[in-house]
Amino acid sequence: MLFRSVLDIVERSPGFALWISILCALILLGIYALLASFVFSMEILEFSIKIPWVMMISTYVFLVATGSGLCIINALGGVFGIHRYEMMSKRMAFLSLTTIVFGMLYIVLHLGHPERMPIYNAISPNFRSAISWMGALYSVYLVFVVIELYLLILPELSNKLKHSEGFIKTCLNVITLEKFEKHSITKLLKDPRLPRLVATLAFVTGASALAMLGSVFAHSESRAFWYGAYYPVYFLLSAIFCGYAFLLCTTIITYWSRKEEISPKIKKLIFEMAQVLALLLAVGILFVTFRLSTGLFNTSSLGPVMLLLKGPFSTTFWIFEIGLMSVIPIVVLLRAANKESIRGVLTGSLMVLIGAFVMRYEFVVAGQVYPNIRENLPSYTPTIIEVFIIIGVLGAFLLVYTLGEKFLPLKEERHQQAQ
Amino acid sequence: MNKTTGKIGRRRFLKLMSIASFYGVLGSAGVTRAQPLRYGKLVDTTRCIGCKRCMSACKRWNQLKIERDELETDRETDLTANNWVVVNLRADAKNREQRTYDHWSCQHCIEPACAGVCPVSAITKLSTGNVVINEKKCIGCRYCYQACPFKVPRFDFEKRVTRKCTLCNDRILLNYSKPACVAACPVQALSFGYKHEIILVAKQRVFKKKNARYILGLTEAGGTDMLTILPAKPKDLGLVVAPNKVVNQNLDKIRITATGIMAASVIAGAMYSYAQKTQHLDHKFDE
Repeated sequence: MLFRSVLDIVERSPGFALWISILCALILLGIYALLASFVFSMEILEFSIKIPWVMMISTYVFLVATGSGLCIINALGGVFGIHRYEMMSKRMAFLSLTTIVFGMLYIVLHLGHPERMPIYNAISPNFRSAISWMGALYSVYLVFVVIELYLLILPELSNKLKHSEGFIKTCLNVITLEKFEKHSITKLLKDPRLPRLVATLAFVTGASALAMLGSVFAHSESRAFWYGAYYPVYFLLSAIFCGYAFLLCTTIITYWSRKEEISPKIKKLIFEMAQVLALLLAVGILFVTFRLSTGLFNTSSLGPVMLLLKGPFSTTFWIFEIGLMSVIPIVVLLRAANKESIRGVLTGSLMVLIGAFVMRYEFVVAGQVYPNIRENLPSYTPTIIEVFIIIGVLGAFLLVYTLGEKFLPLKEERHQQAQ
Repeated sequence: MNKTTGKIGRRRFLKLMSIASFYGVLGSAGVTRAQPLRYGKLVDTTRCIGCKRCMSACKRWNQLKIERDELETDRETDLTANNWVVVNLRADAKNREQRTYDHWSCQHCIEPACAGVCPVSAITKLSTGNVVINEKKCIGCRYCYQACPFKVPRFDFEKRVTRKCTLCNDRILLNYSKPACVAACPVQALSFGYKHEIILVAKQRVFKKKNARYILGLTEAGGTDMLTILPAKPKDLGLVVAPNKVVNQNLDKIRITATGIMAASVIAGAMYSYAQKTQHLDHKFDE
């Protein structure tokens, strides 16, 4: 039965089957790397004992910050009442949820004993530790974003229930709580004020968790590169522009892969978002300029700044952080918005994402290199096994997104509250 | 007490209670004022001959593996999950002929930054002075390594936890009185005792000896319970230089996090303003 349905899918849409197969192969690669780390030693994931946080942590920061950025952007519709943004709120909530969950998966795989984390974080949390706060806030945020997504897709699921039969009908009956129609919980779920309340709570916890993520690094006084009040603020800004870029990329690619025409209203919104993204990138350049200029006149932060300007990280800094993530996308995005080119918006957003990925990597590694390893800088290329894990988790994330896109009603349209 | 009925009267009861609470407060104040006697370890690098018996004793007592030839050669050895104490030959950058063996391990800070950042409170500063990691609680996040001003705690890839010198907490509990490394030192380069006593000894040695010039641990990271007498400044010997203040103070952490939260509030304000100023776009959009 299952085999026959798989064959049906392959026959009907070979492209989709190929895509799923590729993602499954990537996941298998990740599982192989994970098993290898268990069988041999966790050491195969690390290239230097002196730099314990490398690509898994930087990818975690990239994904989780992007997810939090999406949460903030989503608040523009759900909390601040911009109707245009409400069209994309289902996709934003789903993307925010999946990026944060899979980002967290990197941390789980990086920890020595992940099974102890929920136990001791609950029994003996350290309120002086930013990681403890970050974990707690993200856990609460995930609960709120799940409720938010549920409330957003509930009307469409109820509609689907009317036209479905058999097993799917039973599942939808459970999900939509149809059996408890007269119960007070169902009445509460149908209260029109609830989505805004949940969205507000999600926004507050998500933004606080993001500021706390920046604080995890910024609290480390022994790491001159990370230390200070700059990074919690920059994390917020960079998360928002990463969120915009991620949303634009996934929306455009999803429409293209489905071979659907993007409606004029959504196109208009995409171009507006591209302009906002360009503005945020310009503000980001101001932030970086501020950091560099204040760092040059301060003896304690001169070293880290010079590490970026002239040191071993200068190539990635100038090419990726300044060029690919900031200056070039501003021009590309503004031109694309002006000429109404969807391809241009996609190019600009992809540039931002690639640049931001390298920026996060550089941020995490450079922070540990200075001031401890001034001479004989070890190669900071990640190990192949670590790359396998990164690819495997990314594959799992894309698989969940693809399946969610296929089976959940995430298509851009105004939901009930907005009407 | 009322002799006829055998009961305590109301007035007498109140009198007894007030006396009891007065003495109770006095007693507890005395307890809180009494500073527990902290231990400390003194390393005199000017006496060290580089025999590495301290390293060997540490490995034996704590059942740590020998990783390579660290006990036999003068090759530079780094702290690892199996090397809680290392002895390395160091030259003074200002006087290359001045060479000294440096005994390096956890400095047991008075206010340890690692304990402040551990998310599950697995690291504690004991009243005796030892900073210890509860290996059964450690989740292996390595945040302590990032926070430590001396870069000491190291990850054990086999046990999947972070490990470091405990100042032989278990030996002190067993009344062996000295850590294994101190007990093994043949030239009394290492000594162990009450903190206030070893500070005095260290100062006297620096005052008397010509080649002893610097005491590491008096001010570094707000003070540590391991003091090291050095022939030159730590920077000139290539040692990790920690700031002369308590690292990762709680108020500092609050200041940094508050800046982030304030920035989030400013962003919320900007979002509100964006929503208000683009209302006309919404109206066009709805048409």
